[in-house]
Amino acid sequence: MIIRDFGMSTVSLAGPLDAKLVAIRRAGFSQAMISASEIVGHPGGVAAGVCAVHHSGVAVTGLETLRNFEGLDGRLHDYKVDVAKSMLDLCQDLGGRLLIVEASTSSHANTNADEIIRDLRTLAILAIPKGVRIAFKGVSWSRTASNFAAAGEFVLRANCRNLGLAIDAFDIVAAQAPLDDLDAIDPEQIFVVQLSDFTWQTVPSIAENTATKTRFRVFPGEGAHSDELAAFVSRLDVLGYSGVYSFDVYNDDYQQMPPDAVVTRARRAAEWLEETVLRQSLPVPNIERSRRTAQD
Amino acid sequence: MTNVLEHEAVPEEGPNPLGISGIEFIEFATSKPQALGGLLEKLGFRPVARHRSREVELYRQGSMNIVVNSQPADRPHTVHPAETPVLSAFALRVRDAEAAFQRVRDLGGWEIPVRARAMELNIPAIHGAGESLIYFVDRYNEFSIYDIDFRAIPSVETKPAAIGDLHFFGIVQYIGPDRTADWVWFYSQLFGFTPLPDRVRFGIMPKGLLLQSPCRSFFLQLIEPEDNARHAAMEEHLQRIGFGTPDVMATVALLEKRGIEFLTSEKVHSNDRGALTKPCLGSVMFELVHDEPSIHTARR
Repeated sequence: MIIRDFGMSTVSLAGPLDAKLVAIRRAGFSQAMISASEIVGHPGGVAAGVCAVHHSGVAVTGLETLRNFEGLDGRLHDYKVDVAKSMLDLCQDLGGRLLIVEASTSSHANTNADEIIRDLRTLAILAIPKGVRIAFKGVSWSRTASNFAAAGEFVLRANCRNLGLAIDAFDIVAAQAPLDDLDAIDPEQIFVVQLSDFTWQTVPSIAENTATKTRFRVFPGEGAHSDELAAFVSRLDVLGYSGVYSFDVYNDDYQQMPPDAVVTRARRAAEWLEETVLRQSLPVPNIERSRRTAQD
Repeated sequence: MTNVLEHEAVPEEGPNPLGISGIEFIEFATSKPQALGGLLEKLGFRPVARHRSREVELYRQGSMNIVVNSQPADRPHTVHPAETPVLSAFALRVRDAEAAFQRVRDLGGWEIPVRARAMELNIPAIHGAGESLIYFVDRYNEFSIYDIDFRAIPSVETKPAAIGDLHFFGIVQYIGPDRTADWVWFYSQLFGFTPLPDRVRFGIMPKGLLLQSPCRSFFLQLIEPEDNARHAAMEEHLQRIGFGTPDVMATVALLEKRGIEFLTSEKVHSNDRGALTKPCLGSVMFELVHDEPSIHTARR
């Protein structure tokens, strides 16, 4: 069986890239979000990293993460454009069609909306000849877009077809953002949804949020907010989101576990979502899903 | 396609921000320049000049310049077999090449390193579709780029007349699935091209979407793969040149006498609106489109 609508991510696993890809494939995932640092940090060099992905049988959901791009001036802006070009080249080499761009957390970033929009447009145009789409993602401690609604506002105003959103469920669950905010977003402009949960009941402070976000995440279905996550995914499904659900789970414990053990948890999460959430919300596509699954 | 049109924002600096005024030249890259040269000569082009230091030749007829580049380093890497000639660049005539280049680069164009270009003059260029380039040329009136880079071939007419008033009409670009909106955005934002409504069609190859240059003198036609080829691997590329001619059937007859063969299938055959040559040298095709040269103002 191949799990089609869910993607794994290499950052959620420990170990060398090649071993991660094998584990991802073995667990039945057909795609994964690739972290640029894993390709660049491949012991055989970048070309060997690209080659490992090509030969893994794992399709590339996208490349992550371009950070602190928008809102810079002069030399800093030119420097970031070079960084972006380098990541777009890498994304194209990998056969990826998506680049994750996180809203800036830099204190140097200008928060003027027109300049942010101008920079996002530049990035979108840079990505066109490469065949790459840009998925802009709110970050809770960003100065430019602290959640998906703010990021969505920039995407809407920039008005480029290849510029859309990456929505991280963690931000919605942790911030207890109203799901109605999703209704303002064109589902066509949601390019990827990243899913994870965490084990604490609440996230009171920004500092704790940062720590939880980067260290204590768990897979959907094994955290403390399964109901909220289920409601989030159901809402997206009803809105007509038909893209990939990518598991981005940063967890210190997982960094000490064999990748096979972690990816097994990811698989369980995919099955939980498939069985309990997506099946209930939209029966017709799920008949299609079950039928496809039965053929594999 | 209507969604694409509604989606577009009008560029802020007016309809022709770069002062585009037609196509200065179109470039082929090939490892077999004689074979391609022979084909161009059948189409009425004459070799008029050779590059002073590179394996680059200039062919001309009427207002059209075609550059044949056989520098090994300039060969696209994704085209197989390697002998197949490919459309590797087109050059836009602009008001100020350096200013145009700066503006396009600031908006998100990819700069091409100077040494990778066919000319020695500093002709600025950016990445286009696939491995193709888009040059910016501002010396095209009394003084031309060819005067510096090229040496005229002795005893040749340097400005041969065009057969059947042939002139550049457009370039067909093959693009990936669902990529039309991206490329419309690219050409409209960077260069001021305008997408034309679906009902406007020229010639006999009506697929895809047409973009009109801001000088209204030529077109780009964007074509996505057919449904059954959507998942086949294909690099995006410039696929063919379209020539305008006021009398398609008369020009077809003239070119047939010179050895050019046209498609005669039930679906695609020459008529008053247009014609398509049979593929040569792998996949090189040319299209004829009914067009009066007098309606265009931007030609020499």
